[in-house]
Amino acid sequence: MTDMPGPVSRLRYPLGWRVMDALERGAGILWPRALHRLTGWLLIAPALLLVAVLCLGLWRIAQGSLHVLDRATFLPAEAYTLENYRTVLDSATYLKIVWRSLSGAFLTVVFTLLLAFPYAYMLVRTPSPFVRKALLAVLFLPFFIGQVVRAYGWLIILGNSGVVNDALGLVGVTPMRLLFSFPTVVFGLVQYMLPFAVLLLAPALTAIPRETEIAAGSLGANWLQVLWHVTLPMARPGLVGAGLVVATLALTDFAMPAMLGGGSQDFIANAVYDQFFRTADQGLGSALALVLVALGSVLVGAVFAAFGAGTLAMGGKR
Amino acid sequence: MEFSPGVRAVDNASFDLQAGRFLTVLGPSGSGKTTLLHMIAGFLKPSGGEIAINGRPVDAVAPHRRSVGMVFQKLALFPHMTAAENVAFPLKMRRWDPRGIPARVAEFLDLVRLGGYRDRRIHELSGGQQQRVAIARALVFEPELLLLDEPLAALDRKLREEMQLEFRRIQKELHVTTINVTHDQREALVVSDEIIVMEGGVIQQYAPPLAIYRQPANAFVAGFVGVSTFLDGVASPAGMRVGGTDCAGRQALPLAEGTPVRGALRAEQISLGPAGDMLAGCDTVLPGRIADMIFEGERLLYIIDSDALPGAEIRIYHHDPTGFDLFEAGAAIRFGWQAQDLKIFKTGRKEPTGGVLQ
Amino acid sequence: MKIHDTGVSRRAILRAGAAAGGTALLGTLPATRLWAQEPQKPAELIVRAWGGEWVEALKRGVSDPFTKATGIAIRHDLTEDNEIQPKVWAAVAQNRVPPIHINWDTTTNATKSALRGVTEDLSDLSNLAGTSELSKPVGLDGYPIVNTYGYVYVLAYRPEAFPDGPPKSWKDLLDPRFKGRIALYNDGIGFHFPAQLAGGGTLADIPANMEPCWEFCRKIKEQSPLLGEDPDFTAWFQNDEIDAACTISTNALAAKRNGVPIAWTVPAEGCKFDTDGLWIPKGLPENELYWAKQYINFAITPEAQQVWLDGLGLPGVVPGLTPPEGLAGDPSYPTKPEDFEHLIRVSAKVQVENESDWFARFKEIMQG
Repeated sequence: MTDMPGPVSRLRYPLGWRVMDALERGAGILWPRALHRLTGWLLIAPALLLVAVLCLGLWRIAQGSLHVLDRATFLPAEAYTLENYRTVLDSATYLKIVWRSLSGAFLTVVFTLLLAFPYAYMLVRTPSPFVRKALLAVLFLPFFIGQVVRAYGWLIILGNSGVVNDALGLVGVTPMRLLFSFPTVVFGLVQYMLPFAVLLLAPALTAIPRETEIAAGSLGANWLQVLWHVTLPMARPGLVGAGLVVATLALTDFAMPAMLGGGSQDFIANAVYDQFFRTADQGLGSALALVLVALGSVLVGAVFAAFGAGTLAMGGKR
Repeated sequence: MEFSPGVRAVDNASFDLQAGRFLTVLGPSGSGKTTLLHMIAGFLKPSGGEIAINGRPVDAVAPHRRSVGMVFQKLALFPHMTAAENVAFPLKMRRWDPRGIPARVAEFLDLVRLGGYRDRRIHELSGGQQQRVAIARALVFEPELLLLDEPLAALDRKLREEMQLEFRRIQKELHVTTINVTHDQREALVVSDEIIVMEGGVIQQYAPPLAIYRQPANAFVAGFVGVSTFLDGVASPAGMRVGGTDCAGRQALPLAEGTPVRGALRAEQISLGPAGDMLAGCDTVLPGRIADMIFEGERLLYIIDSDALPGAEIRIYHHDPTGFDLFEAGAAIRFGWQAQDLKIFKTGRKEPTGGVLQ
Repeated sequence: MKIHDTGVSRRAILRAGAAAGGTALLGTLPATRLWAQEPQKPAELIVRAWGGEWVEALKRGVSDPFTKATGIAIRHDLTEDNEIQPKVWAAVAQNRVPPIHINWDTTTNATKSALRGVTEDLSDLSNLAGTSELSKPVGLDGYPIVNTYGYVYVLAYRPEAFPDGPPKSWKDLLDPRFKGRIALYNDGIGFHFPAQLAGGGTLADIPANMEPCWEFCRKIKEQSPLLGEDPDFTAWFQNDEIDAACTISTNALAAKRNGVPIAWTVPAEGCKFDTDGLWIPKGLPENELYWAKQYINFAITPEAQQVWLDGLGLPGVVPGLTPPEGLAGDPSYPTKPEDFEHLIRVSAKVQVENESDWFARFKEIMQG
């Protein structure tokens, strides 16, 4: 042993560091520094590719919508035509279905937000961790069950010999039809959308400091005034975002109208399904699908125009 | 606010405050001062006792019906409203004549010197300007009581000191009874007419700033307000004895000889001189050695070791700029004090004076 | 039987010709008999089928015995019939091997595929010689499909809701006490033709003038009918949601076998009679095509039909089958010419050419 300092004892780095260094060098060869500006693009490339494939599909659907079905051969006719769109626009059925989808989506948004807001508020504000966990569990449970099974559950609960009618029977009310109507479809949609809305509202409500509401109270506002003048305006980004998601999901929903509507409460998606899979008229189905896409886009565009894209916390100032 | 069961955040905190005065509740975090404030504002219900404003009990009155303005720790301004809308809010909620509201809002924005900012959104205002909006909003509806819940804690020092004076100016102008809560002893001393020192939910002392500083009721108050040196020993007829050294001092209450005591000496009340100096006027003079010195700008803080006071770390302020380089670290010195400046308290138990103004 | 499409030739027999290939007896052959010139056997054949009792019956009657005889395993693909259709169409259009070997399909849907030209011709199946004319798709050349059994869209009802005996006419459903208590298929399938008669029209007017049908549908709409698909009817009867439905007898039979008090009838105007069949998509390798044909050939032997159709409770396409218990003489089990007198049969070609219009019209009335 010697106390002479020498070059012999080089600092030993852990193996993990060396591996990382080697990887970094390798990455440097594959993706030179000069390209680092583009790293962000590289990372979103898969997502962009996915969107591109979707756009391609949409393009094919758009093309398909321009051919009518030749029923002699059950192949799309050669000629390009807007006939399918004319069929949609001329048809009282489809106008009715479009109107039903829109009003159904609107009512679903209204009722869902009415129910989701107090729920999310309680979730965010409760001082008890147990209550919060219980509320979350109750909220998530239906998520794991899935839409179709839930709809089927409503068939059982609301049926003529279901739980509700049995209960009504105990107090002497004759069984009544609770299923297979527009309100039932909206009811099913609201129940389906509630978790989405609550989960979208909760962060917006978390962002409102409890102190701000207390402050409003100390300034002379009763709870209703606090809600109206402070909590709701401050929760607006969450309300708009949740409303938008619920509206688009409801507008394009298939299962609830199919299962709870009793066959006479079709939404646009059901009409699209019928054309694709029941009458094999892919052209008309494509035209209907594009009408749905257009409606959704107009809706989203209108909301952005009215409230700004910042509504969804995207770039805009709060 | 979370309370562990059985633990009281505020315990027996009775005090009376004269109308028009500026009271500061001073205490370390967790001392119960914010709880006290929230009970006064009505956000929390005391488990016992009574709160009265201008002689009227308010315990059964909901917060929004109490005439209490409050400036919150994080201001709690409404980000979706302009400065003017923020200030108008309490007037609308309290159903003031709508025709009078704009003028009143303008008046109060002028009062806080924000006349030109009425249409700015909150996020367009600086931190200090936001403070001013919060003050105007809390005062505009003529509350009987103004509560300040550490609103200055988040500001940088310069702005904080500016706003302290601003609070004081506005309070004097409007004569609004004010209760301020802070853990900043300097703020308490600067702005207040009276100070309550709280610790562990108990009022330790209630007195004007000067009295708090000069006549601390117990070792906690002495330690919390100002910089003090503590000496642990036993009571003696002349004051106290530390090890074998007699220290001249005043006992807060007469104590039997031999009672364990703790003495407190303010850093600026200890005299310092070179070895051999007799330090005329001091009742106790001891030898020591400079352990360290810390330059704080307007003053120098010496840390002194003394064999005569084993275990004690004596801290002395030196305010004379020309004398800053008198002593070097390690230099032998002498230090001393007058008997009246060594405050002696019984050890082991605090002796709060309660809520009676001294 | 009322066959209205008179333009269709009923060439009975094209059959025996190709049958001489040595495979004619496959349906009845003992498992040990093998021919040297047989194409190579695939490990398995994929047959698209409907689930539940339907596939169980097919397995018992056709698939299991076929596997036993040939050693070729049968895999049942339970993709919905209307969902497999575009997949097969796309595969043929792109010259890919189709996802299934054999499709068990409604004759109407199969006819669409036949018109589109994605089906193999099955005229050379030897056992076609032993079948009734029901096996021949009406309105198509050759055998792009082989019909394997028929079924009736009966008027199923709960006897307790009809204390005066079974409904005599489809018009009985207009009684106000059945408001909200009747069910139809959601595209109206099976109901259009009886409705045409109940509305005062004639079958000869199909498809030119269907106004009487729509008039009757509008009256039915006033009754707020439920609209559903096969499984719905069984569930609705079970859950006491409905008193009467126009549905395939098999669904009513299933409900009855499940203990639901239910009966069915053919009212005065008649009921729609239709068929299901088997077909093979184009694009299969030669050997797989050969064995797929053998599967279908086997499915139309009396032995296979007897077991398969016992499960379904439906009349087959070979004469002399023993009806399932309780169904002999039942209106839903027509075998003799007089049984067909009250049944309405419209050529698949007319149906496929017009059905989307009919569906659209029906929806327009019901969704309004």
